[in-house]
Amino acid sequence: MRLPTVEDIEKRIPRPDDFESRARGTQLTARVGTALGLCFGICFLTGMWSHFQYSTPGWLTLSPNPTQLYRWTQGLHIISGTAAIPLLLVKLWSVFPRLFIRPPKGGRALVVEGLERASIAALMGSSFFLLASGTLNIIGWYPWEFSFRRTHEAVAWVAIGSLLVHIAVKLPVIRRALGEPIDHDDDHHLDPDAPTRRSVLRGAFIASGLAVVLTAGQTVPWLRKVSAFSVRPGDGPQDLPVNRTAKGAGTATTALDPAWRLQVTVGDRTVSLTRDDLLAMPQSTHRLPIACVEGWSRSAVWSGVPVRDLIALAGADPDSDVVVRSLQTKGAFGSSRVVGNVVRDDRTMLALTLNGETLDIDHGYPCRLIAPNRPGVFQTKWVNELEVRA
Amino acid sequence: MRATRALLLLTGVGFGLWGVWLMRDFTREQLTSEAFWLAGGVVLHDVILAPVVVVLGYGASRLLPGHFRSGAATAFLVWGTLTVTFLPVLSGQGGKPGNDTVLGKPYVLSWIVMTLLLAGWAVGGALWRRRRRPVEVTAEP
Repeated sequence: MRLPTVEDIEKRIPRPDDFESRARGTQLTARVGTALGLCFGICFLTGMWSHFQYSTPGWLTLSPNPTQLYRWTQGLHIISGTAAIPLLLVKLWSVFPRLFIRPPKGGRALVVEGLERASIAALMGSSFFLLASGTLNIIGWYPWEFSFRRTHEAVAWVAIGSLLVHIAVKLPVIRRALGEPIDHDDDHHLDPDAPTRRSVLRGAFIASGLAVVLTAGQTVPWLRKVSAFSVRPGDGPQDLPVNRTAKGAGTATTALDPAWRLQVTVGDRTVSLTRDDLLAMPQSTHRLPIACVEGWSRSAVWSGVPVRDLIALAGADPDSDVVVRSLQTKGAFGSSRVVGNVVRDDRTMLALTLNGETLDIDHGYPCRLIAPNRPGVFQTKWVNELEVRA
Repeated sequence: MRATRALLLLTGVGFGLWGVWLMRDFTREQLTSEAFWLAGGVVLHDVILAPVVVVLGYGASRLLPGHFRSGAATAFLVWGTLTVTFLPVLSGQGGKPGNDTVLGKPYVLSWIVMTLLLAGWAVGGALWRRRRRPVEVTAEP
C-alpha cells in the first residue's frame, strides 16, 4: 500500500466542468450581481448616513427636516440588507464551481489570480459579516467581543471597497453577459426538464421580495399583518414598541418617585420643575415617529412642552445646544445632545402624553425627549435634566 | 472603459484601506473575534452549505420525475434562502427580558407554514406541468 500523492488528491477534487447545472453562467451571475450591488450600495449610503447621526462630522448640521428622513433611510438600510441575503446566496451558488479553477502555473498570472482571489475573499467575508452582524443586532444578540457599531462601519468600508475592485475586474464580463439573452436554446434541448437561468433568476427575485415583505412590517405600517418574521410585531404599551424597559434601564422606582424634578440648567442658574408645572405650561401636540437603528419605526401622537420654552425659563437662547440627561443607570445612551438647529423646532419637546394617555413608564414617564428626524436611541427617556451648553 | 476600471480599482483599494485604518485601535481580543466572524461565513458557505446544495441538486436531477424538477428547484431556492434569512428570529436567541414587544411572534410556526406552502407550490406546479405536457415524451419508439 502506498500513500496518496498530491496528484492523486488533486484528481479527487472536482473541476469546474464537473458541476452539471446549466442554470449557472455569467448571464445569471451578472443579473443577480447587479441587483445585489444595488442593495449593497443603498445599504452603504444609508448606513453611513446613520453613522453620521451617531458621530456627526463638523461639516454636517443635523436638521429636524424632513421629519421622516431617518425613518426612511434606516428602514431602507434594513430592507436592502434583508433583500441582499437571498441574492447573495444565489449569486454565490452561480459561481461556486469557479472556486475549483486550478491556479495558473507560476509567474505574473499566479500573482494576478492570487490578488483577485484575495479581493473576492475580502468581499465574501465582509458581506457575510455585515449581513450576519446586522441581522443579529436587530434581534439584540451579540455573540462576539467587538463593538457592533464601530466594527460594522469599518467592515462596510472593506465590503464596498472590495466590491468596487470586483466590479473593476469583472466589468468586461458583466457588460457582455448583460447584453446576452439569459438562456440559450441549446441548453434547453439538452435537458428540457432542468431549471433554466431564467427560472433561477425569477426564484432569486421572488425570495428577495418575500424576505422584504415578510419582515418590513416593523417599519411599513400596512405590512404589519403580513410580516410574519418581523422582529417587532408593532404592538406595545400605548400601541408603540419599547426598546429598553424601565426595569432594564434601572428606572422602575426612580421614575415614579414623587420627589422627581426636572432640572433646567443654564450656566450657574437652575430651574426646578415638577410634572404638574410642566403640565401647566402651554402644550404642543405633534405626530412624530420613533425610528430605531434596528430598522423598526412607528408614528405616534405626542404632546408636551417644547424644549425651547423650557430653556427659555432659565433665560437661554432658543438656538442653544442642549444636553438631555436621564434617570437611567443601566445600559448605554443615558444622555443625548440636541443641537440648536433642532432645539429651535417647536416639535422638539419633552413629551408628557403618548397617543392621548399619560406616558407609560416604559416609554419614559415622567417625561421623555421626542424630536423629528432623530434616531430612537437619542430620544432620551426618563429625563431629569436639561443642561444648556453655550 | 480602461479609465473607468482603473478609477474603480483605485477607489476600491482606498475604501478598503480606510476600513482597515478604522480598526487601528481595536484590541487583540476584538480583532480575533472579528476575524472569526469574517472567516466563519466563508467557511460555513464553501465547506458546508454550497456542497450540500450541490449534492441535493445532483440527487434531485436523478431521482425526481422530469416534470417535478424545475418547480422543485425554484421552491427549494426560495425556501432555502428565506430560511437562512430568518435564522436569527428562528434561533430563539436575543430579545430582552421582560420586553415582549421584541421577537413577539410565533416564528417557528410561520416557518412551518412557509415550508408547507412552498412544498405545495412545488407539487402543484409539477402536476400542472404533467397535465399540460403531452404523453409523447414517454411514448418514444
